[in-house]
Amino acid sequence: MQKPHRILLDRVSAYADEAAAYMRRRRVARRPFARLYYAGGRSADHAQDSTAGAELFVAAGRLIEVAGPKRARG
Amino acid sequence: MIQEARARDTVGIFADMPDAAAATAPSGESAEAVLAFLTEMSPDLRGAAVLGPGGEVLAATGEEPERWGEDAAALLAAADAAEERPVEQVHIATEQGEVFAIRGGGLAAVGVTERFALASLMLFDMRSMLRELAKGAA
Repeated sequence: MQKPHRILLDRVSAYADEAAAYMRRRRVARRPFARLYYAGGRSADHAQDSTAGAELFVAAGRLIEVAGPKRARG
Repeated sequence: MIQEARARDTVGIFADMPDAAAATAPSGESAEAVLAFLTEMSPDLRGAAVLGPGGEVLAATGEEPERWGEDAAALLAAADAAEERPVEQVHIATEQGEVFAIRGGGLAAVGVTERFALASLMLFDMRSMLRELAKGAA
């Protein structure tokens, strides 16, 4: 029979593995999107190959460029 | 997934809440202060800018405030043109990072984050920042 603390550690490790796998799947599966929210709570997605979507992605790309790389935190 | 659903669902609540429109544009100092606070508490944030009622840059991170103004104006114009009505919030996720934009109290803010930033938190923080600024300016 396993010691009680072993059972607890195994359980925590299993949850951590599940979470890591979920994050990996999310990274792989998530595709670029452009989502707009309007007054009243309505939202609309625009595909990258639509006219509006292409303009949004171009504008977003410029902002990402001006923001630069991730800041170093001291 | 949950964050995205929350962002989608809570936007209606925020949209129905009265936003005190800024009677006058907030000062550059107060905009700098709230932007510094946002930068400090958002580890995923790469850069951001606060725009005044006329689209002028009140505060921005980095060395190119003019570019922030031009590019944010282009983003908001493209977003408004998508359905020919003004947007309240924008969230664009690309391979290189994520872009958020929000309007409130006659002001606007744009922010760029790392990929997979928590959208609901980011938008909440940006809206709080604009509300704080508009309240101070009124």
